[in-house]
Amino acid sequence: MVAERTLTEKLKHYRISQAEYERISELLGRPPQGLEWALFSALWSEHCSYKSSKVHLRKFSYRNGMTRDDSDENAGVVDIGFGEKIVFKMESHNHPSFIEPYQGAATGVGGILRDIFTMGARPIALADYLCFGDENAPRMKSLVKGVVSGISGYGNCVGVPTITGYTEYDENYNKNILVNAMAVGLLEGHMNLASSKAEGVGNLVVYVGAKTGKDGVHGAAMASESFDQDIDSKKPNIQIGDPFLEKLLIESCLEVLSKNLVVCMQDMGAAGLTSSTFEMASKGRVGMDLHLDKVPQRDSSITPEEILLSESQERMVLVCVPKNLEAIQAVFKKWDLDAAPIGTITDTKKMRLFWKGDVVTEIDPTLITDSAPRYERPFIPYQAKRKKSMIEPVSSQNKDQLLASLKQNAFYKNKNWIFEQYDQRVGTRTVRDASHTVSVVRLNSRRDLAISVGCRPAFMRMDTRIGAIDAIIYPALQQAVKGFKPIAVTDCLNFANPERIEVMTDFVQTCDLYAEIAQRLDAPIISGNVSFYNETEGKGIPPTPAVGIVGLKENEDLIPGCVLNDPDLTVYLVQMPGVVSYAKTAEVLKKESSFSGDLLVPLLCDFVAAMTAFVAKTKPQVSRVVGQGGLAITLDKMKSNGFECVFDAGDSHLFNSTKFLFEERLYDFLFAVNSSQQVQFEKELNVLVNKWNLVSYVLGRSRRG
Amino acid sequence: MKWGIKILPREVLLDTQGRAVQDYLNQNSQGVNQCRIGKYIVLDLKQTDAAESKKKAIEITEQTLLNPLIETYTIESL
Amino acid sequence: MKVGVVTFPGTNCDQDVVKMTQAHGYEVVPLWHKDRFDINSVKMVIVPGGFSYGDYLRCGALAARSPVMASVKDLAKTGRPVLGICNGFQILCETGLLPGVLVRNDHGHFIDKWTVIETVNSTSHFSKSDKKKLRLPVAHGEGRFYADKPELDKIEEQGQVWFRYAENINGSLNNIAGVMNKEKNVAALMPHPERALFDWMGGSDGFKFI
Repeated sequence: MVAERTLTEKLKHYRISQAEYERISELLGRPPQGLEWALFSALWSEHCSYKSSKVHLRKFSYRNGMTRDDSDENAGVVDIGFGEKIVFKMESHNHPSFIEPYQGAATGVGGILRDIFTMGARPIALADYLCFGDENAPRMKSLVKGVVSGISGYGNCVGVPTITGYTEYDENYNKNILVNAMAVGLLEGHMNLASSKAEGVGNLVVYVGAKTGKDGVHGAAMASESFDQDIDSKKPNIQIGDPFLEKLLIESCLEVLSKNLVVCMQDMGAAGLTSSTFEMASKGRVGMDLHLDKVPQRDSSITPEEILLSESQERMVLVCVPKNLEAIQAVFKKWDLDAAPIGTITDTKKMRLFWKGDVVTEIDPTLITDSAPRYERPFIPYQAKRKKSMIEPVSSQNKDQLLASLKQNAFYKNKNWIFEQYDQRVGTRTVRDASHTVSVVRLNSRRDLAISVGCRPAFMRMDTRIGAIDAIIYPALQQAVKGFKPIAVTDCLNFANPERIEVMTDFVQTCDLYAEIAQRLDAPIISGNVSFYNETEGKGIPPTPAVGIVGLKENEDLIPGCVLNDPDLTVYLVQMPGVVSYAKTAEVLKKESSFSGDLLVPLLCDFVAAMTAFVAKTKPQVSRVVGQGGLAITLDKMKSNGFECVFDAGDSHLFNSTKFLFEERLYDFLFAVNSSQQVQFEKELNVLVNKWNLVSYVLGRSRRG
Repeated sequence: MKWGIKILPREVLLDTQGRAVQDYLNQNSQGVNQCRIGKYIVLDLKQTDAAESKKKAIEITEQTLLNPLIETYTIESL
Repeated sequence: MKVGVVTFPGTNCDQDVVKMTQAHGYEVVPLWHKDRFDINSVKMVIVPGGFSYGDYLRCGALAARSPVMASVKDLAKTGRPVLGICNGFQILCETGLLPGVLVRNDHGHFIDKWTVIETVNSTSHFSKSDKKKLRLPVAHGEGRFYADKPELDKIEEQGQVWFRYAENINGSLNNIAGVMNKEKNVAALMPHPERALFDWMGGSDGFKFI
């Protein structure tokens, strides 16, 4: 039936451009035929091939003594010593979540978990980064509810705590929400890091996990396309996640890995079996004979093409030496899962796909993986959107009324209702849950690991350069004021159509800055994901390059708190000169956003390290980086147990001016110390202030309000 | 008027609950070919005219009770 | 002391319970759902929380009918202690070892938060803290304790209410957070004592639980 279509129809169906078609024909020495269409369609999609971003992602090559170059692998690894390695990654599931929010978010969580345990690490924490539209936009309430339930339904059941996240509400995401999930895994001494490189001629290719159905066929190509109005036409693409099965898959995969029964392992994500087997083979420079009819099937009417492209969830491929097959099958049987040998590694360097004994396709896998196109999409040097004069939207307003009106906005409303739906403590590692500015898990070596997500879209919209610097520096500073050293970064770069110059310009600017910051901060970008084409009906999202940061504290010392829950603490405000703006507040007030000043990457990166050292030495009772909405919102969030910061100054003092309270200054810090800490704290603070040209004030004391 | 609405997961999609129960039953040698699990909803409507009432029941089902992306339904008069 | 810890497919608090058990210096005997076990091989059994069988059909329903639970029932008859936590509570109710049932929270959501529970009647086997009020975290979607009126009255009269929530978080009848059988050797609660062993976890009221 495919053969009867015209070339134009085929190109449209398989989402292959004319130029790509010509390149495929050149590589093959003839036009593509049969299943080859589907293979190129899936693996040359933006989603699988990173064809528009790869030339820029190479900039993230900085590595240090704790990290090595494993950009080929499913997730990045940081060796933190004491036999512990941290494995983490962040990934987007934006398009599926907009179509069916519960399943979209749930399968997003499932997918990112598989990237972690396929490497032999046990997932120990989840984080999410969500951008929703205006809460009153069409479908938005049900999208929010569906996404939160999906994350909760999957994460809770699979037994991995969701401990932190960021939630934006802004009309720019009305028709293209962002759902990014980050998973962090721990690989301990007795476990080897598992590779995804196929090796050993004669070794078996084994399919494990759930049976294959028609779910999500052509999903990878779809994720690389902008939306049109016709959501209904995409119905058959919906993938259903089963966290119960994923839990069984985690336990069985980690069991076969810990018993050293496996040569390599790869999860089946986008473009399913095709992507996983072709990548394993081309990384190992080997061939594979695969018998598609031996793939466990849920639906007897499934075709070879559908088996190749199905995105049924909770499936993995592994390679083992033949003598280990029985032991592997015994483990999977114990967990009631399929483990079916579907092929062998060959020395032909060709993928040979069989259907009921006949060869249906024979192709060099590197043509489809390594030879995928690389586009140098046009861009121009970034030009700051800086306004010459600062527009100041708040000073005429009453500060109490302004605070009250900001707190009515969905963004500032208490988000406990979200985090209370996530199991934050399963695994009994959680030291600080999502009610804190930085979430923390305890490692078996009795050290603490901080997990944060970053990127504040209001700053991105204000100025891409400032926003991108802030995306890493703000969470890094949040960790630093809790005594943590940021050690590595993952990213999830959500952008609109890369074929537009202004989108590509923002993208390139972001990559350049992230590369520079990672190196100066000594926190390599060890893994990541790019999500392009976040666009509906021609309108793109603002650049939203989310990041996940992991930080380490080499001891069990008490972590400074986030709220003023004791009386008579002295509250200090410490200011680092940088940018002054009203990014979020101006948006909430629907006024034009502008800023003055600048951020200097080297200075900020060095200051992060100085702040970590300062907090480790002084151990303040409370510490915070002032966030969006300025001092007014941050001090409001610090109220606790009936205590709040009461200013020493009178009403006419600078501290009480609306401008001072609501400016969003990059960066202001708040510390609170008790009387026994005060002398030592002030001594160290003076050193810090002098060295870094900071300004510090005693703002007030914690009292009953 | 009372209407019974039977909602089942779409045949082509995975029914996670049905699969788990099916596997459990088959571990105990119950010989189950397939198990699908849905829900049954009884709606008692104020509307007394049969045709109008059915129209209303369908409207409620399609707009609220059902997720057409993942479920199908049948309706019966009770 | 040897403590049996049960694992079903979908159990996800078994390793947390193992850590709690080992923190007391007890020896853990893993009990697999497909296997019956020699009831004389353990002094106590804990049925941990999680999502046995994905919570499909009804929470705890499929787990309750597994071979391992047949042995747990036999063990309970000898008077040896059995503790259920969260999903373990649901399973023990489904097996009939405990009265009542746990249904969907009245607000319809999963809820994770720290709660305060008060001891109503005590058992010599578990919860050995001197404190009458314990601060422990909950994490459940179906933790609303329900029994019909005659049964609820009986549970109250026979002193089978183990804990009540200080603040009702899920619509449980009579604020019930934990119950026991009449003999007080089988006991279960929705909150997670194994998640409150040390101050760094946010509280240590769970430490003296077993």
